[in-house]
Amino acid sequence: MSDIFAFNGSQEAGYAQPAPIADPDLAKARIPASLRRAERAGWPTASEPELVRHYTWLSQRNFGIDTGFYPLGSCTMKHNPRVNERIVQLAGINDIHPLAPAHHLQGLMAIYYEMQEMLGHCAGMDEVTLQPVAGAQGEFTAIRCIQEYHRSIGHSHRDKVIVPDSAHGTNPASAAMCGYSIIEIPSGEDGRLDLDALRAVVGDDTAAMMITNPSTLGVFEPDIAEATQIVHEAGGQMYYDGANFNAIIGRTNPGLMGFDAVHYNLHKTFSQPHGGGGPGSGPIGVKSHLAEFLPTPIVGRRPSEEGEIGAGDGWWYTWEEPANSIGKVHQWHGNAGAVVRSWAFYRRYGRDLTTMSEHAVLNANYLRHRIMNPSPEVREKIHAMPLDGCPADVVKHEFTLSMTPLVDAIGANGKDVAKRLLDYGYMSPTLYFPMIVPECLMVEPTETESKEALDQFAKDFHSVISEDPEILTTAPHTTDVKRVDEVWAARNLILRHPKE
Amino acid sequence: MDMVDQLPNLGRESEMLSAMGLNSMDDLFSDIPKAVQRSAPLDLPPPQTEEEIWRDAQRLLSSNVPVNSRPSFIGAGLYANHVPAMVPMLATRGEFLTSYTPYQPEVSQGMLQAMWEFQTMISELVGLPVANVSMYDASTAAAEALTTAVRVLNRKVEQKDTVYVSELVPEHRFSVIQNYTQGGGIEVKRLPHREDGCLDMEAAKVATGSCAVYVEQPNAFGIADEGITLLKNMLGENTALIVGVNVVSLGLMEAPGHYGADIVVGEGQPFGIGPTGGGPIYGIFACKQAFIRQMPGRIVGLSHDSDGQRAFTLTLSTREQHIRRHRATSNICSNETLIALMGAMHMALLGPSGLEILSTRNAAAAMLAEEKLLEIKGVNAAHPESTHFNEFVIRLPGSADDLCQHLDRRGITPGLPIEILFPDMSNNLLLVSCTDQTSEGDITALVAGISGWIEEVKA
Repeated sequence: MSDIFAFNGSQEAGYAQPAPIADPDLAKARIPASLRRAERAGWPTASEPELVRHYTWLSQRNFGIDTGFYPLGSCTMKHNPRVNERIVQLAGINDIHPLAPAHHLQGLMAIYYEMQEMLGHCAGMDEVTLQPVAGAQGEFTAIRCIQEYHRSIGHSHRDKVIVPDSAHGTNPASAAMCGYSIIEIPSGEDGRLDLDALRAVVGDDTAAMMITNPSTLGVFEPDIAEATQIVHEAGGQMYYDGANFNAIIGRTNPGLMGFDAVHYNLHKTFSQPHGGGGPGSGPIGVKSHLAEFLPTPIVGRRPSEEGEIGAGDGWWYTWEEPANSIGKVHQWHGNAGAVVRSWAFYRRYGRDLTTMSEHAVLNANYLRHRIMNPSPEVREKIHAMPLDGCPADVVKHEFTLSMTPLVDAIGANGKDVAKRLLDYGYMSPTLYFPMIVPECLMVEPTETESKEALDQFAKDFHSVISEDPEILTTAPHTTDVKRVDEVWAARNLILRHPKE
Repeated sequence: MDMVDQLPNLGRESEMLSAMGLNSMDDLFSDIPKAVQRSAPLDLPPPQTEEEIWRDAQRLLSSNVPVNSRPSFIGAGLYANHVPAMVPMLATRGEFLTSYTPYQPEVSQGMLQAMWEFQTMISELVGLPVANVSMYDASTAAAEALTTAVRVLNRKVEQKDTVYVSELVPEHRFSVIQNYTQGGGIEVKRLPHREDGCLDMEAAKVATGSCAVYVEQPNAFGIADEGITLLKNMLGENTALIVGVNVVSLGLMEAPGHYGADIVVGEGQPFGIGPTGGGPIYGIFACKQAFIRQMPGRIVGLSHDSDGQRAFTLTLSTREQHIRRHRATSNICSNETLIALMGAMHMALLGPSGLEILSTRNAAAAMLAEEKLLEIKGVNAAHPESTHFNEFVIRLPGSADDLCQHLDRRGITPGLPIEILFPDMSNNLLLVSCTDQTSEGDITALVAGISGWIEEVKA
């Protein structure tokens, strides 16, 4: 075990720095007495050799895509190309200041412009901002734009946002932060959008509907065009949660479906590494009637003039303020480093982003087929087969399984299966979401898994649901720690190392 | 032929399709109604290889001007200080880099422990008992601190749904605060400052009985404002004091938790990562126990596994959107964990004494720069009675923007015209920021440059 608080090394052994360029005692004395730090912060001093080993040890106790298959539904855990990481270490991105004059940032702005155009094209939207730094912030930003749009046309009385009960939790949370009341509509029997339920709640008070398509069950909503029509006729706006955008690029787009605004998750579809929880990047695209409300600034361009070298591509890039901008949602220009990584990722595919989406869908359907169709010999040993979360001939980039039959057969539940999969060297699928599928496991293989990896996962999944119930309910057995007591953590709330 | 090298199953489509009893890729999309299918191919360029992307990236990004490629005095909350080599090398190990939020603690102990250590360091740094694992940046951290304070204190105060924010919070941060507070019906009022650049303590009395006050320390002029240490006493128990900090200053300056701050926020960036065009960076968020169940963001707690050995896990998730949905304390889901990890590594390597040295280097550089610049005839201190940490404002005999353009052509970035932060302020004020990377030579070049410009302005 490596514990940073056990180090307590010699202060002389810590990181060496050059001497201050002026008298340090005078510099310290300038701080008013009442503001001088009375006591140093209390964490141990450690040397580089100790810390390199500490953090290497910690990394070895962490599971990433690089470690193994990561079928975490809704999170699109695809391979992260390494050249992208090399690029963001360049001083031309790592060491640039967002408030520097625009002619210091022409290369970054060229990348921003290219990404704005590409994202707009892929989603069928007219204008794009790259400022929001996470999917949830993209949702918040787009709903803010919709809110200002309604205010601008005298529709401030529209105070409700509709979400399906299968929606990501961020959807209602983001709309609520903008001040909206939330109306949650039940999905149909088959888990799909229920148009009658929608018709029953839309009206003069509808500001917007937020929905993801393919839905969180991994299936395409066949009635999406009718849904947008119903909401539009009532005077509401349609918001597309782009968490599942990886499934559809080049095959359809939110613009064709009738949406007015969309967010993109660059950390899902465009391979910004998820980093244990972030950074993300959540640009939004909007139709032209919402463009004037976008956060400021967005990047525009004009042909470069004599003597303007800029990014060397014949254009001069400028920061533009939308006419009735909501202002800012991040104090700088968003997660520029994430945008650059995703630009490098996009360049890897270009127009073949369509092929990327096709392979994401191919892999999901193939894995679903393998899991749901074991050979008779294998089937014989399985306690109970899972049920489809949503009946469908084909799914999109992910699919849901209900483990209810296993619970009935042997008493082991979805969580037990998830924990046992960890023993086999996999990250668990997303557990217990969407909430409308009982005992749900949501599986998203992404396009970067080989057929062999998918075959092996299906085989191992069958093996898990054939095992002795006792093994499942006490899993995992071979991980760094065994099942963690989350209830104890919440009751005792030990949120930092205790003071000595 | 287009060449994509990221798809292991390219060329094996028919094998996989036929295993499912399907004939073509189109069959996989047969569920998309014709009316919304896209028929035309994407109007985008063909794919590139790694080599071509690397070449284009180098060319495009080398047309940007890195802060440390020249004498630079630009800061205002983002600083191009040195980040030890260990930090990016370890943080980009694939096990950290390519992991998701640690929802499965049994295989995520590494990141969970690193974040628990990070929470401890932030807690120590700012003098408050609880810290989360990061916000998007300082502005969203400040905004969500205000909404947190309203949720906790609104019942107890006379000025319901009202908070006060210092006038010296720059426009780009204040705009974020407005966007985040307007939905809750929160009224945001401003607190004025005095001629000396400090908070007007007399005028600040108006905030008594409100939910919260947000001030920055040092403030946007780089001033170490003593008045702020007296603010909590003046406001009383039921009005939250929220302080936004420059984290580097806390090696020399008192932790706000020790002078009564209820919530401390700030830009963590100088610990861990370069300015990166403004992101990804990370906001810090720490608070007193009373705010813990209403705070935003993820938190790691200590626990044990079924064998009784020490183990970490995410906790207090019943505050969060994936459980509480529209009643969540915040919509935040993805945060900036990897950058916070870089910050933890940097702070661990510095150690508390190294932090004091780093802080001193910043303050010493600003002291020297200020001394040398004020020797120039025509340059005056904007706030001569106040003391500064690593930034200060000078008054020029002409437009600061004009000076910046003049010196830019000579390879120097002299600072930031105050007008960019505060559009209503005089255009002859310049914010000069120093870091650990500021050298005596940089200061000499700046002094010579400004002197030369003044000569030209006169002529």
